[in-house]
Amino acid sequence: MRLLALTASLLLSQPAWALDSAALVDTAIDQHILPGFTALTEATGTLKNTAAQDCASQSPALHAAYHQGFDAWMAVSHLRFGPTEEDERAFSLAFWPDTKGFTPKALAKLITTEDAAALDADAFSEVSIAAHGFFALEFLLFDDRIQTLGSAAYRCTLIQAVTNDIDRNATAILADWQNGYDDLMRTPSENGPYTTELAAVAELFKALDTGLQFNADARLGRPLGTFDKPRPLRAEARRSERSLQNITVSLNALEQLATLLAAQTPTPAQNLTAAFSLALGQASELETDPAFAGVSDIQGRLRVEILQQYIGNIRNIVLQELGPALDVTAGFNALDGD
Amino acid sequence: MVTRRRILAGLAATSLLPSAGWSSVGTPDYLSAARAPDGTYLLAGLTTTGDITFTIPLPARGHAAAAHPERAEAVAFARRPGTFALVMDCRDGAILKTLTAPESRHFYGHGAFSADGKTLFTSENDYEAGEGVIGLWDVHQNYTRIGEFSSGGVGPHDLKRMPDGETLVVANGGIETHPDMGRSKLNIPVMAPNLTYLSTTGALLENISLPAALHKNSIRHLAVRADGLLAFAMQWQGRKSDSQPLLGLHQRGTEAKLLTAPPKAQQQMQGYAGSVALSNDGRLVAITSPRGNVLHTFDTETGQHSAALSAKDVCGIGPTSDGFLFTTGTGIIGTLQSDTAQHTLQWDNHLIAITPQT
Repeated sequence: MRLLALTASLLLSQPAWALDSAALVDTAIDQHILPGFTALTEATGTLKNTAAQDCASQSPALHAAYHQGFDAWMAVSHLRFGPTEEDERAFSLAFWPDTKGFTPKALAKLITTEDAAALDADAFSEVSIAAHGFFALEFLLFDDRIQTLGSAAYRCTLIQAVTNDIDRNATAILADWQNGYDDLMRTPSENGPYTTELAAVAELFKALDTGLQFNADARLGRPLGTFDKPRPLRAEARRSERSLQNITVSLNALEQLATLLAAQTPTPAQNLTAAFSLALGQASELETDPAFAGVSDIQGRLRVEILQQYIGNIRNIVLQELGPALDVTAGFNALDGD
Repeated sequence: MVTRRRILAGLAATSLLPSAGWSSVGTPDYLSAARAPDGTYLLAGLTTTGDITFTIPLPARGHAAAAHPERAEAVAFARRPGTFALVMDCRDGAILKTLTAPESRHFYGHGAFSADGKTLFTSENDYEAGEGVIGLWDVHQNYTRIGEFSSGGVGPHDLKRMPDGETLVVANGGIETHPDMGRSKLNIPVMAPNLTYLSTTGALLENISLPAALHKNSIRHLAVRADGLLAFAMQWQGRKSDSQPLLGLHQRGTEAKLLTAPPKAQQQMQGYAGSVALSNDGRLVAITSPRGNVLHTFDTETGQHSAALSAKDVCGIGPTSDGFLFTTGTGIIGTLQSDTAQHTLQWDNHLIAITPQT
């Protein structure tokens, strides 16, 4: 059967000016990705060492290290490709949303059976993914039931196992970036994950769009629920009251990535700056409601809905202005994904 | 040009032809949802030559459709997580009934009629439980909702009636979603797709899972051959650099067989098969990738990759006598030999053959 290339496939829209795709990829790696994952390993190293010294669930030093580590993860959590996807590292760092309550179940099982897997890093890496990462640690440090379940000595061991595993995953992600993946992205090749410079730009663009979407749909959409049925208990990291903080840190990181991607396209760049400023301003309006408990009352709900709309506005600019300017728009069906 | 009548002459199952109902609407061979240049959505009837026989407006983006086996009636389903489905008279475009998903359910975009045309089955999400259900609608009572049963998994997508007329097969994609979170995927690390065969009363007959290493291969779309051979298409949710099989064949009571193209061609699919079809002679099976802008065909006997065809944003695919008709998001309708028509409409994911497939 003969091969056939439809002529229509050649009629790709071309941007009005020539983009330096390689420069976009280089700056994103050098100014956003590598510094972000380096900061993550520094914070997770501190978290691991802090837990090694003081594993009490009420330890102020441990709480501070938890928050710093979580902040550092939120600043890179949108970079879901390549090294984060090896061995389920990103899901190991953050298993959320946990719609069926696997994290408390897995932790309770480990604690009540005093599973010896917590004593060995390799064995622990094999236990349920829901018992790993920042959300498992949050339960161990902030959940009334989990932090009093079983023996304090075993919970201490488990906290150390979880923080060790967090640091191990963060370190592995950074190592992969430094030892090869950055080159694969900078230098497209026939057999690599990116066959063209534009494909690497498209990956970064997709990370930006998906990150915005996750903030609007999951981090805000989940607690908002519906007007008749708000779901404040579904807010991300509500036990440690960092639901809003996660969004603020994520938006700041996404703004940095958006700015780098828009460096050669002035109009989307200006519109993106304005749109991020509006959303971050609205986020600061919510500081009195750090875990979105207010979604249950009209006033509080409105403030959260406005933030969601502002993030939607950023996304519109990304999809309608930045995408075409970077020549990375996907097709009607390709984008649909179903 | 291969006419529809010649295709049908070659079929053993001519007794299953739609009755007068369908012949009165300018004889469409397929249905497809589309987006018009003005941004509105519609359902269209299409012929094998790519001509449009009718268009009917839709209130929002559609996905797939189901054709009644006898009456010139089709049900167009909303795009996930939509809650509407429109029953339309394809002779005049009249909306006969709007189906609304029950409380705490939404449609997944696919459905199938029973062999006698009395019951419509729809794939739905029980989203608070995060479990899949199959909804039942009584066609003769003006499409009244009469019940539901478990789909046998999470995230049911496509479903088909088997040739025995007594069995349904469901592609449980395994991905949990919730309408409050749009189309965000909620359970990728623990997803577990399967193929489930059910009786028309919901009894679980057979459940096929892929090996654990393929648990992120979401089984989404189905095509059935007259002898019961099932083709299923998948969408890989794991690492992009992994090149996994995206097509499988299954015959009841046997192991599923997974088909892959040679490495380079397989990589072009970008881990995503959007639609699947079997040719009417049963010899070929095809999958499309709108992300990779490519269509692959395989020999159903040998399982060998037989051809690759490039077409931008190709997704919809339906059978012709010895091959396939495909549609693209750029408006093209084509066959393996040539592109036969270019419309200003953007064809949506699926091209549904009206001729009964089983």
